Amino acid sequence: MSVMEAPENTPVWTDENRCKACDICVSVCPAGVLSMRYDAKTVLGAMITVSNPESCIGCHECELSCPDFAIYVAERKEFKFAKLTDQAKQRQQEIVANNYMMLEA
Amino acid sequence: MSELREVISSGNDLAARAAVDAGCMFFGGYPLTPSSEIMHTVSDLLPTVGGAAIQMEDEIGGVAAAIGAAMSGVRSLTATSGPGMSLKAENLGLGQMAETPVVVINVMRGGPSTGLPTRVAQGDIAQAKNPSHGDYKSITLCAGNLAECYTETVRAFNLADRFMQPVIVLLDETIGHMHAKAMIPTAEAVKAGIKPRKVFEGDPADYKPYGVEQDEPAVLNPMFTGYRYHYTGLHHDADGFPTEEIETCRKLIDRLFNKVDAHKEELELNEEYMIDDADILLVGYGSASLAIKEAVNALRAEGIKVGMFRPITLWPSPEKRLHELGQKFDKVLSVELNQGQYLEEIQRCMGRLDIEKLTKTNGRPFSPADIIEKVKEVF
Amino acid sequence: MAFNYDQYLRVNKMPTLWCWGCGDGVILKAFIRAIDKLGIKKDDLCIVAGIGCSGRFSSYVDANTVHTTHGRTIAFATGIKLANPDKTVVCVAGDGDALAIGGNHTIHGCRRNIDITLILINNFIYGLTNSQTSPTTPRGFWTVSQKVGNVDPTFNGCKLAEAAGASFVARETVTAPKKLEKVIREAIKHKGFSFVETLSNCHINLGRKNKMGSAMANLDWIDSISMPKKKWDELPDEEKQNYLPTGVLKHDDSALEYCDAYQMVKDAHQGKRGKITQDDFAKKI
Repeated sequence: MSVMEAPENTPVWTDENRCKACDICVSVCPAGVLSMRYDAKTVLGAMITVSNPESCIGCHECELSCPDFAIYVAERKEFKFAKLTDQAKQRQQEIVANNYMMLEA
Repeated sequence: MSELREVISSGNDLAARAAVDAGCMFFGGYPLTPSSEIMHTVSDLLPTVGGAAIQMEDEIGGVAAAIGAAMSGVRSLTATSGPGMSLKAENLGLGQMAETPVVVINVMRGGPSTGLPTRVAQGDIAQAKNPSHGDYKSITLCAGNLAECYTETVRAFNLADRFMQPVIVLLDETIGHMHAKAMIPTAEAVKAGIKPRKVFEGDPADYKPYGVEQDEPAVLNPMFTGYRYHYTGLHHDADGFPTEEIETCRKLIDRLFNKVDAHKEELELNEEYMIDDADILLVGYGSASLAIKEAVNALRAEGIKVGMFRPITLWPSPEKRLHELGQKFDKVLSVELNQGQYLEEIQRCMGRLDIEKLTKTNGRPFSPADIIEKVKEVF
Repeated sequence: MAFNYDQYLRVNKMPTLWCWGCGDGVILKAFIRAIDKLGIKKDDLCIVAGIGCSGRFSSYVDANTVHTTHGRTIAFATGIKLANPDKTVVCVAGDGDALAIGGNHTIHGCRRNIDITLILINNFIYGLTNSQTSPTTPRGFWTVSQKVGNVDPTFNGCKLAEAAGASFVARETVTAPKKLEKVIREAIKHKGFSFVETLSNCHINLGRKNKMGSAMANLDWIDSISMPKKKWDELPDEEKQNYLPTGVLKHDDSALEYCDAYQMVKDAHQGKRGKITQDDFAKKI
């Protein structure tokens, strides 16, 4: 099994040199963990952000669906992932409705 | 101990046996008259020595499988005739671009198109110079007698590994199907003379397959030996990875030409028959040269001083030698079974347009009488 | 810890040249996970890719990789495999590469049942060259070769492979990456010709002019035209034509693989067995 070291205490982390802002990971996350922030320097003007890591349930959908090896999720047995809450589901719906962009604070 | 042995065989058979003796371990091809016997013989010989031969679903598949096997590191052969060469064009270009050694035997027949499948011609000379689109630096050898069907095929394998590209060996229907006695090297002598491709033996981290000097071929290690790299037909960098970078692209095609041009002396091979005191020069190659030689002998017996120049490596052409001969001889006759394909090269090298030509494209070989008549007619 | 894809990638060539959201990257990921699970060493692996966006697949994997002329992956791979029967050889080709120009080689690779895996990346269009009709582009779609709407009928690649003799045939989509990984794993493990059609999204070329210009819209469309085989079997006949069944569609471990068959030829020539006759085969014609 090919493994890499995860950053400490992090369920999900990204590689901004590889992300192309395709929005797929944001759209498949069930828990509103991810969203896009504006970034003037990228091709599509956006960049992936782990905006709510505390809601991550460790389903790995984002990692499986990312075509660019730009997002990674810790192993289930190495991190205490959250449970899926209604609030997280609600936030996910809002992010999608917001064209996958980060919600205003 | 003699390094030669006497055999009774056909040209096609000898070419097949030469390949196996020279260490060929893979054949990919398709039946096409008059080359099929090469496939038949090689299909019998290869599995006995642990090699593999496969009749693919078409000509393109044949050369692709052969190039694939060559990419993986084994000596590889395909054999065909004119129509098959036309089909193989694109992949020969890939072989040139990716620098893959593969031997391609073309047993020429009447063309173009379906032409005369069972009759002789030498009509694929210009095609052998540029089989593919784009700039192609051809190495083409032409067997002029039965023994050369064997020796030129052996030479082709060593040249392919030396220059890391496809090498074309031209036979024709006459010589491919001719069944007679020939003196050829022993299998042991051929085996002792095998010069395999260069390989890199250092740390894989330092390996740059296409990162070589401008007059050198790529150093491509066999697959599955710990050196992993990329083959592509796109312009590529030192790792073999596609690129459009301006300098890299310029140097790549320059190098594909220069690796051959800078070492032409390793490729040039000619036969000069009775040239020293001759007044008239005949230039020919392949099976036509057999009739030319007879004509030279017959004319000499009548007191007419004729000589023959026969290039064996057709491409790159013996430019310098042809030029010298063009200065020495006023009277030059080019003899070929096509509409004058090598004639153009002779004209270019000699810098003259006043070269006489004897051409024939009805699928029949030249008889010595044809040539004698022509010499008397024009000179 | 997380799965280390980088170990199998030519990392200095990242990020890939594929468009944002292109399914090719998802397939590459699933492929890497499959190779890792099977324990296949990078040195023992050869990937042969064709021309097109899918053709760039091989250049990103740290293995013995080849990028061939259009449509000829299986022919090249046949030579590589036959000369090195104990190595793993995988072909990656697009719908145009494998079913149009390369159709003949696909058919005969299946017929020979040679131990090669073909991952056919079907994005329903010629993507790299800007939207020409491919043998799988649905009728009525806008393509650059038929701007008033495509009238060319489509191929069912899996049915073709089954009929031609492939002993493992499967179809999955990039919307189900875990299933995709499993099917690729089974395909490579299987000894014989493995045909794996993967439905992928080309939202930039196919999608934009056909009302699905975002990756998600294109992926939703793929989900809407595919369903697991068990469910598909229960559809009324006239509806079956509008869906592509997914999952393993054929798995025959009894078919003779070509390198094994050729070993019989080698053995016969080397005197280890007698001549090969009809009696060696159950299927006589």
